[in-house]
Amino acid sequence: MTLVLTPKVTPPQRLDLSALLPHLLADKSSKEIAAIDLATTCEKITVGDLFRIRAGSAEEIRFEDGSERFDGVGQGLNRGRILVAGDAGINAGRKMSGGELVISGNVGPYAGSAMAGGRLEILGNAGDFLAAPREGELNGMSGGLLVLRGAAGLRAGDRLRRGTILIEGGAGDWLGSRLIAGTLVVLGRAGMSPGYLMRRGTIVLAKPPALAATFVDCGQFASSFPAVFGRFLLPESRGAARLFRAPLRRFAGDMAVLGKGEIFVPA
Amino acid sequence: MKAFVDGAAVGLDAAAAAAARVLGAARLPVIAGLGTDVAGARAAIALAEKLRGAYDHLASDVLLRDIDVMRQAGRILTTANDVRLRADCVLFVGPKLFESLPDLPKHLDLAAPPRLSVTKTRKVFWLGASRGEAAQVGATEIAASPSSLPQVLANLRAAVLERKTRANGAQKLVELAAQLKAAHFGVVVCAADSLDRLTIEMLHGLVVDLNEKTRFTTLALGPGGNALGVVQTSGWMTGFPVRTGFGRGYPEHDIWRFDANRMVEADEADAALWISAYRAEAPQWNRRIPLVALAKPQTRFAYPPRVKIEVGTPGEDHDAIEFSQEIATFALARAKNASNAPRVADVIGRIEQNLAKGSEAC
Repeated sequence: MTLVLTPKVTPPQRLDLSALLPHLLADKSSKEIAAIDLATTCEKITVGDLFRIRAGSAEEIRFEDGSERFDGVGQGLNRGRILVAGDAGINAGRKMSGGELVISGNVGPYAGSAMAGGRLEILGNAGDFLAAPREGELNGMSGGLLVLRGAAGLRAGDRLRRGTILIEGGAGDWLGSRLIAGTLVVLGRAGMSPGYLMRRGTIVLAKPPALAATFVDCGQFASSFPAVFGRFLLPESRGAARLFRAPLRRFAGDMAVLGKGEIFVPA
Repeated sequence: MKAFVDGAAVGLDAAAAAAARVLGAARLPVIAGLGTDVAGARAAIALAEKLRGAYDHLASDVLLRDIDVMRQAGRILTTANDVRLRADCVLFVGPKLFESLPDLPKHLDLAAPPRLSVTKTRKVFWLGASRGEAAQVGATEIAASPSSLPQVLANLRAAVLERKTRANGAQKLVELAAQLKAAHFGVVVCAADSLDRLTIEMLHGLVVDLNEKTRFTTLALGPGGNALGVVQTSGWMTGFPVRTGFGRGYPEHDIWRFDANRMVEADEADAALWISAYRAEAPQWNRRIPLVALAKPQTRFAYPPRVKIEVGTPGEDHDAIEFSQEIATFALARAKNASNAPRVADVIGRIEQNLAKGSEAC
């Protein structure tokens, strides 16, 4: 049975929930879980202070409600499932390497930051720097699948290195900035300057803005690979599968950097 | 110079005691502004640690653009002296570069030939200058609007790499690229104030690319008011730049979480200490949280501070150690008009003494 955490008070401060992971709670009793400190200020607040706990196997943890102040939800997740029936703050699913995290509400900036594996699904909108590296880190997301049903803020997929990001809503300016490799698909309207400073990797835009001059038109793309990739995405998103079935036109760039990246737009 | 508690003039001791009560009672106090000399910054950061609060600088948005490029991509930097002595090719990028450093053009002395250069001649270009600015240093102007700079610099970098692009009319940039590549010791002069983070990264990447064939470096101008000195002080005290918090008892750096304006508006910070000793600047936030202000007398606040202590200006009212951008290191700034106006460091020292006497944070 699932371990269920039901918030009983509004969080009086930002909380760090990164300790609430299946592999960290596996051998803990309800009492031990209730004693875990979640505070980010000098005022202590424990799991027991904040949540009503329904004991169960920690392989699946369900939060019955969320909050913009729930930071680090699923941060470092490596197995099992975490479900949040509400919003989450910053760093949701950051550095996760396995398992599954599903958040039904909106998330703050840096969701999926530097994630390396597993599946992260966000049903609402995300803040800036989706999947991006944090202060002083060199790489963004390096593996796994990130599905965002809503819209993303600025610089989604910054320094993406491997893995797939699928955004069903729109995306803000500087989408896929400094991309190193990996795949970034956006079905909604994309903001200005996608792929700025990208070295390699693939961006696919259903509704692209005017592309920068440092992206060179390569004409219609004749390959069977988009259809294969579309079938891979079909269980996740019918819209994405449809985008990959239609003919695509390829732009190579960013020519200001290495120029081995590509942006696909509908032909 | 005066001190006030709830608008009423009081002695410095009474004001410091009141400030200690306001800050000591907070769950998460934020020390914002931080417009002060090195001694003031040291005292403020030590106070933040004691209170288990957070600190941020009034110019953080600008400072962090350079810092983020530094720590995520790298930069090649030089000093103003090297520009004056060695640079045979200088490229200014962006508008209003001398606004916070009005003496810099004189210091760079670009009209004179570079003494330590093999060519003894100097070419000066300015990409995206504001009106009349390029003539001030005798630069050849290449027009570009601030909003077009990200793409113009991308096109310039592609031109240096001799890559094909779709840029029309980029002939001027191709010519500029040839001039840059012909330099023996080239320098890009730019300021984070007028460029965004990615454009700064593009510009430093351009310098790295030019170093494949020649020597090229950057003179990166920061905000005034000892902002760079505060960042360095923060670095040696905590290992992090500004926007660092001690909420959990140890320093954590988070450029989003410890943005002072955000913390106040989101009802996370429940008291603030505002410091602005260089300029009469007030906090930007709208929520009226209990405020202690160490500020210049003429500062106009959006709402009255609980405690206001008027402080002297570093290098004006009292001697101060500041980071000098002219020489790219710390220097002593002697008081130009010495007065007995209190120093930020001394006032914070008094507040801290009162904390020790009374309620400790949490």
